[in-house]
Amino acid sequence: MIEVDGLVVEYGRGARATRAVDGISLNIDKGESLALIGPSGCGKTTFLFAMAGLYHATEGAIRIQDEPLRGTRREIALILQDAGLLPWKTVWQNANLSLKLRREYPAKTADEVLEELGLSGAKSLYPAELSEGMKRRVGVARALATSPSVMLMDEPLASLDTLTKERIQDLFLKLWTTHRFSLVLVTHDIEEAAFLGQRVVVLTERPARIKTIVPNPEVGDLDFRESGAFLDAVSRLREALEEVS
Amino acid sequence: MTDSPARVWRRFRGCLRHSGPIRSTAMYALSVLLLLGLWWGASAVVKELKGGREFLPNPVRAIAEMVRLAGFWFPNFVVSAWRLVLAILIAFVLGYPLGLLIGRERRLDELISPMIYILYPIPQVAFILLLFLIFGIGNPVKVAIVALALFFQILISARGAAKNIEETHVTSVLSAGASRWQVYRHVILPATLPSILTSLRVSIGLGMAFLYIAETFGTFDPRHGGLGAFIRANSYSAVQAFAGILAMALLGLILYVAIDLIERVVCRWKFTVRRSS
Repeated sequence: MIEVDGLVVEYGRGARATRAVDGISLNIDKGESLALIGPSGCGKTTFLFAMAGLYHATEGAIRIQDEPLRGTRREIALILQDAGLLPWKTVWQNANLSLKLRREYPAKTADEVLEELGLSGAKSLYPAELSEGMKRRVGVARALATSPSVMLMDEPLASLDTLTKERIQDLFLKLWTTHRFSLVLVTHDIEEAAFLGQRVVVLTERPARIKTIVPNPEVGDLDFRESGAFLDAVSRLREALEEVS
Repeated sequence: MTDSPARVWRRFRGCLRHSGPIRSTAMYALSVLLLLGLWWGASAVVKELKGGREFLPNPVRAIAEMVRLAGFWFPNFVVSAWRLVLAILIAFVLGYPLGLLIGRERRLDELISPMIYILYPIPQVAFILLLFLIFGIGNPVKVAIVALALFFQILISARGAAKNIEETHVTSVLSAGASRWQVYRHVILPATLPSILTSLRVSIGLGMAFLYIAETFGTFDPRHGGLGAFIRANSYSAVQAFAGILAMALLGLILYVAIDLIERVVCRWKFTVRRSS
């Protein structure tokens, strides 16, 4: 589904060039969930944005469904840290934004997605009128509206309180099991990575390289958080992160 | 039967406890009363200092004169109003898009910003003579003088607002597939509108000052010279000049209120309040 081959991403040119991602190679299967974790500022977001088509590869390549990635694509959705909602657009307009920008109207309309996420009653509200949890759900609605086959998330639950965070993690899991998109989640939260990633990729300090990949195959059950396997995954991830930090 | 002052004051205080339009109207009324009171006091002090001569008429005299001379100042008010509105529109139409472009497009910024840094500090009043030579003494020069002054104001505000846009919003629409034009349409324009409307409010005061200067030049047309010409022509009588000054204040007030109303419509999202989850 997604093939990352020797990806290098640099900012700037010549002597001023700063390498953010340094030779990452990785395959992500259709319907797989992958969490990326690493020290702050290590280049996780840069790697994710490159997969979203927002940054060009300095070296190496990214292929989606065997086609080289050049720019953004309809089947790739990105959810940003604070949901990336535009304050001047209503909930419906935000949810419908990707469809409007691409002038495409596939089967799943913004109305259907908002209903699926329990936001039908909030269509005409502006983001400032919403709780943080609702904002994140609107961000998810916008991403889902284009029926993506790849869902990229950049620390989507940062700065949420624990209970809201867990509720939205449950929502992500339900949507992933229902829609079967490939999920790539960037997070700095070990428990979130262990709860949502079938594989957790631990990245080194900048420039980001793969330190280790922790398999976590039992992901997919809402009760996984209560299991011993979850605690074991958390413990292995903590150890791996301590090695790179 | 009329209410006693104590009862009126109690009612007024009751209005201040409300929220929304009742309170804001009451506060507006209080502010106007306070201004009139200060004016009255200043008028009394000036009269005392000048041995009883009325250089600064009290508000009752000035308002009474304004009502009496309505047939004279009103046509001038209309002329000044359209000159000012036209100048604001010209400055807005030219300055806003250019400001956004140089705020967002690095190469254009590098090319044009040095020109702005050189031209903006020059007092625009210095160009008045040149503009009179180019446009003559009719309406175009008066509009051009005001538009020139406001153009830089709006241009610089728009450039600053475009530079300060949260990049998350731009990333958000780019990841959703936006073209460069769509980034302007869906992010840059709406995100900068509140700053530009604030800049327009500042521009009203500046624009009126330049309009006054422009209208005091040239020959006096008693009906179509504008409020500046009306004030100049009546400068021999302080109370009559004040009728013109009050008319200018009224014009400013109308434009401020108009911008507030426009903001309520185009920036509706700014006036929302957060609800609970």
